[in-house]
Amino acid sequence: MALSLKVLNKCHWQNGLYPLFRALVDNCSQIQYSSYKRPGTPSDRIPPWAKINFSFQKGIEGIKTHFGRLIKEVGDHLRGPEERSLEEYMLEKTRVAWQFRSEEDLKKWVISCDAEIGGKSEVYLKLSKNNQSALLYGTLNTQVPRDGETRYSGYCSMRSKPRRISFDRKWPYNWSKFNCLHLRIRGDGRPWMINIYTDPYYSHQKDDLYNYFMFTRGGPYWEEIKIPFSKFFFSSRGRIQDQQHALWVDKISTLGFTLGDKVDGPFQLEIDFIGLARDRAHIEECAYEIYEKNPK
Amino acid sequence: MNRVRMLSLMPVWGSSAGRSSLLARAASKQNLLQLQRRSGLQNSWSVPVRCFQASTTFSSSKIARSVQGDKDRGKSAANRSLTVVEELFEREAKTKATFQQAVDVFCKREIRRRGHVEFIYAALKKMVEFGVEKDINIYNKILDIFPKEVFVPRNFIQRMYNHYPRQQECAVQVLEQMETYGVMPNKETKFLLLQIFGAKSHPMRKYQRIMYWFPKFKHINPYPVPDPLPADAVDLARLSLQRIAADLDARITTYQLPHVEILDSGKVVDYPHIIGIQSPDQRSLLACHNPERPVFVEGPFPLWLKKTCVYYYVLRAELLPLEERKEEVIDPERNFYYPMQLDIDLERDEWEDEEFDIDEVEEGPVFAMCMAGAGDQATLAKWIVGLQETNPVLSQMPVVFRLTPGPRELKSGTDLEENSEEETARSQSVNREA
Repeated sequence: MALSLKVLNKCHWQNGLYPLFRALVDNCSQIQYSSYKRPGTPSDRIPPWAKINFSFQKGIEGIKTHFGRLIKEVGDHLRGPEERSLEEYMLEKTRVAWQFRSEEDLKKWVISCDAEIGGKSEVYLKLSKNNQSALLYGTLNTQVPRDGETRYSGYCSMRSKPRRISFDRKWPYNWSKFNCLHLRIRGDGRPWMINIYTDPYYSHQKDDLYNYFMFTRGGPYWEEIKIPFSKFFFSSRGRIQDQQHALWVDKISTLGFTLGDKVDGPFQLEIDFIGLARDRAHIEECAYEIYEKNPK
Repeated sequence: MNRVRMLSLMPVWGSSAGRSSLLARAASKQNLLQLQRRSGLQNSWSVPVRCFQASTTFSSSKIARSVQGDKDRGKSAANRSLTVVEELFEREAKTKATFQQAVDVFCKREIRRRGHVEFIYAALKKMVEFGVEKDINIYNKILDIFPKEVFVPRNFIQRMYNHYPRQQECAVQVLEQMETYGVMPNKETKFLLLQIFGAKSHPMRKYQRIMYWFPKFKHINPYPVPDPLPADAVDLARLSLQRIAADLDARITTYQLPHVEILDSGKVVDYPHIIGIQSPDQRSLLACHNPERPVFVEGPFPLWLKKTCVYYYVLRAELLPLEERKEEVIDPERNFYYPMQLDIDLERDEWEDEEFDIDEVEEGPVFAMCMAGAGDQATLAKWIVGLQETNPVLSQMPVVFRLTPGPRELKSGTDLEENSEEETARSQSVNREA
């Protein structure tokens, strides 16, 4: 009993009792992260209760899957921290966070491009021909949508879905044991940006991101890229911030790749795996000055 | 007191309205020379150069009405000046000199720099058209349009609030465009901003941010691309092959330089360039390759060097099936001076295990890479013939061309059908030639 309570304690109780009956209600897990509305579109006049699609059968199914997940989580928790045995967990120096070997792995990712804001880019994600890596490809188009407000356009991105456990509770990743991101990729010479989204506590932090650049060499060979977490800089709503701080490694929600190098044309990026490593020679915490802005 | 100053300024407003209509007439003729002469005339008028500063606490209805009238007039003048602004940039020759000239014309004509915000926005929009979007001097010239020392806050209340927000926004926009095109501001930009907006204004902050972040990220690209790129296709091919080979030992061979040959019959034959790269490791890999298994010419694959896209082709083999793979055993007597193979048990514990628990993607070996001026099979066959000189084994192997319809084939569109076949016939002609 105490153990199951401990499992439940991991959830953030801001939502109140909502997670308990969320299972009964369809269409609620898709939380709108962005409040973006295309200029010119009429405002949404449908009342929120009209959108609730109550279905008893789906509710029963939801309860089944969520309690199934809960039982599995209790089992995992008995085995040790983070589904691993204690010995394995303590000796762990590297971890493969995401790999791409099957269609199931691709379902953990979301792709998006500026077509959402009216642009003309295209992006697709599929397994490459030997089913051993993910291939992100498409075309970038910097043509600005003619809505009178948008000034820049041209991006394509791929982002992991945040991890959710039973009753659709958020459960951010804890990467505090590691200090490097390790990627094995093959690109075409275009620069990418890696975005890390940490789980926000206050709603005004929901547009905060930690970014760094990933340069690809191009050519037929795979390359390994290691990016220390200390290099990631803090930005909000796409603007780099004056007050920098180190990445919140214990509250990682999602990781994404964005291409937006203002060059029209096709692109492709093959990703083998995304791993985490602990480099003991690297002791830097934050690569940017974090002194007080107006010292007393 | 206020009212007296206000009334004394009234005739000035009347004359300025007349002047703007004169301007519009002049602009409609689209004769810039004439325009310049007239504006020169206007400059000689003794108009007191003083900004109109009206406090909002006017109580007199008459004055309030007159202020309202001035606002309307100002709006219409701004509209008209906007059309003039657009016309200033309607030139035949779109070069840096004409851009500067347009800015000069505006500065000379408007002694008070009226409508400068609109003019700057229009100028920013036109910069790409004139090809000056990466020129720091032009940006400084644009910032120079702002009247100096007018927008500097003079007391703590002005400093506390957003002083002249539209002008500050406009200057931030200029700096943002510089940021977008990767132009680093210089000392002159700083002095201009200090003079125009003061030390703690928004444009100054933006300048400080650019100066902080730009140098930080200037050299983070581990594979830098020279700017500008070499114009010659052969030099570009050398550069990009060296980049993708990722091996300092790799040697570049020029198999064919681009040239045009005119036959006796008057037919012009175009020979495209063929540049290849191969490293010693790749050569030994190819020497070990089983001659009964085919090798493939694949391509074209894109490679981006900033804004240009080049295409390369690779010579590679399929991955060997598991039963045919064998471990290479090094003869212990191959080298008497030092061991070729070390098998030392370093007693590494699980604590030291730094490997990722994953099966890496395995692919067939790459033997050589090339870039060619044309992507047809005949050109690439020449590359293979050239490779056979340094790799004699290649003449015994069947070479299969697996060319996908690339962008070049799409342009010509004639031989699309042939190339779209996934595997074209084995090029035995190549082997026969050799």
